[in-house]
Amino acid sequence: MTTQDRKWYSGMLLQEDWWAVWLGVGFFLLGLLSIAGVDVLGWITYPRKWVFSLPAGATAKKIVTWQHAFYPLGGKYSLTAKGFYKSLGPIGGILLTYVVFTITTSIGAYFMRWDLKKYIAGWSIIFFLTYLTWFVGHHAFFSASVIDLRKSHFPPMFTMSLGGGASFILALIVGLSIGNFFKPLAKFLSTAAKPEWFIKTAIVFLGVKVGYLPIKAAATSQKLGHAVAGLTFDLFVAGAAATIVAYMVFWPGVYLIARKLFKLPRATAAVLGSGISICGVSAAVATGGAVRAKPVVSIMVSSLVVVWAVIELLVLPSFFTHVWPGTADPLVAGSAMGMSVKTDGADAAAGELLDEFMRTKVETETNGQVVWPAGVITTSAVMTKVWIDMFIGLWAFILAMVWVYKIDKRQGERVPFSEVWHRFPKFVIGYFLAWFIYLGIFFGPGHAGAADGMALLKSAKVGAVHVEKGMRKLFFMLTFMSLGIITDFTKLKQAQFGKMVWVYFVSLFFFIIPVAMLVAYLFHHGMVIPTLATAG
Amino acid sequence: MEIELSIHHDGRNWVATDGDISIAAVTLDKLDRMVENELKSRGRLKSGIQTRVRMSFDIYTIPQWIRQYSQHYFNRVVVFEG
Repeated sequence: MTTQDRKWYSGMLLQEDWWAVWLGVGFFLLGLLSIAGVDVLGWITYPRKWVFSLPAGATAKKIVTWQHAFYPLGGKYSLTAKGFYKSLGPIGGILLTYVVFTITTSIGAYFMRWDLKKYIAGWSIIFFLTYLTWFVGHHAFFSASVIDLRKSHFPPMFTMSLGGGASFILALIVGLSIGNFFKPLAKFLSTAAKPEWFIKTAIVFLGVKVGYLPIKAAATSQKLGHAVAGLTFDLFVAGAAATIVAYMVFWPGVYLIARKLFKLPRATAAVLGSGISICGVSAAVATGGAVRAKPVVSIMVSSLVVVWAVIELLVLPSFFTHVWPGTADPLVAGSAMGMSVKTDGADAAAGELLDEFMRTKVETETNGQVVWPAGVITTSAVMTKVWIDMFIGLWAFILAMVWVYKIDKRQGERVPFSEVWHRFPKFVIGYFLAWFIYLGIFFGPGHAGAADGMALLKSAKVGAVHVEKGMRKLFFMLTFMSLGIITDFTKLKQAQFGKMVWVYFVSLFFFIIPVAMLVAYLFHHGMVIPTLATAG
Repeated sequence: MEIELSIHHDGRNWVATDGDISIAAVTLDKLDRMVENELKSRGRLKSGIQTRVRMSFDIYTIPQWIRQYSQHYFNRVVVFEG
């Protein structure tokens, strides 16, 4: 069985990238039906912070008892079918969520020619393991902040105050445990453990989030809605800086480190340079192809990228939250994350973790006076990454021309321009489509949050919340779990990587992360996330 | 005139194939020359006519876990003068 990209539409049914668009846009469009009063996505089931039993005097507000730890979002947000979705209960909701996503992702798996039996078996294990870790991670000890405790009239007690981040960390730990200590199981699950597919789908859902943020803020005040819409555009524009840094600063720097300091061959240095400085595996593969390296070079670099990205994911969110820049400059942190963490999965996951940490921290520090909307910090991390991703095709095309026409000088060879399109990350289309359509609803029929547009915005909110909150978080959880499953730390010890591990280490910690922090500071310092708590 | 071939790397050689012909060589340079000779011997290169041979990489020869990150290795075009 062979597959090649020959036409511009090649791979639309065969590639995960396209299937992220079909899944993401499909659910996004179904969510839009709520504007017409049809709520078909309210079954998506979401966790709450919980305890086994409420202490005396406490009320089940922000923290509930374990039986109510999950709820179908439609039971809370639906305008037309609240009763039905409530009646599903937590178990019914989880089962329906399982059935819908099993069917839809299996359709994708079928077209992508995966072993369907293995996929469904692996998916089922990953899905229920994900919900189990979501449940455990939302125990109040891990997740509740002082504010949560106070709002539920709990007596003062010690909690880890990790917010939703606890579940993400737990999912990653469970996944890493499988990936490193239960390798036969990890191998069995590998058909379904697809962090990049899950995260690309989640990023399309994030597009809904970015477009929905002004709608959500407008419910507090029209002015706040405008401010949030403006902020998302500011992030979009400032994120462009990352592109220049990644291609014009990081790549030449890492290439030189690999060539001059570690004496690696030219093609290996180019592939490594792209993997470390641009967008991880996809850049390593694109560059490997561009410089006509044997695929094994890209495969080796990719193995390293995946492991190092997870190390960054484990270290950077806590570092940016508690060491620098902290809650004083959350968007500097988000943007620096986008430039530092390679692979979309690890970056978006790290951004989401940072979002949870920062929001919980600022709420605690200010005694509940500052409440940032969820997802803005994640957006800053993803926006810079999306910018970088979009140009990989063009970059690989330029490298291919340099290699083919100047370095290798192979007689008669031409580089087709269609390569740029074949390497373009397609999920970005879904991300922008979702963002701009919700933004269009806000500024168009929603009258930018004016009183006469609020009825429509309220109905649009229903479908958006199911997608941007329920589905996005679920797919983030699936990403953390699968990222762990496919990450094998023993790869770092394998002899054939040798110098490459050290090139990665030196480049990342002494060059990329410091420069990313500096550039993020220059372009994002002073950007303020509007607070939902004090707006009037 | 254009000829379509699939290309992949088997761990040792670059392999170009279209089901009818299958040619393997350690380097792309050698592969191109061997493809040119093979096409000539089969009469598929016409004298005085430029022939574009498009080699599309078979992405299914890349491990599945990597394909989720990137689904395109390269396509290359080699022009032969008949």
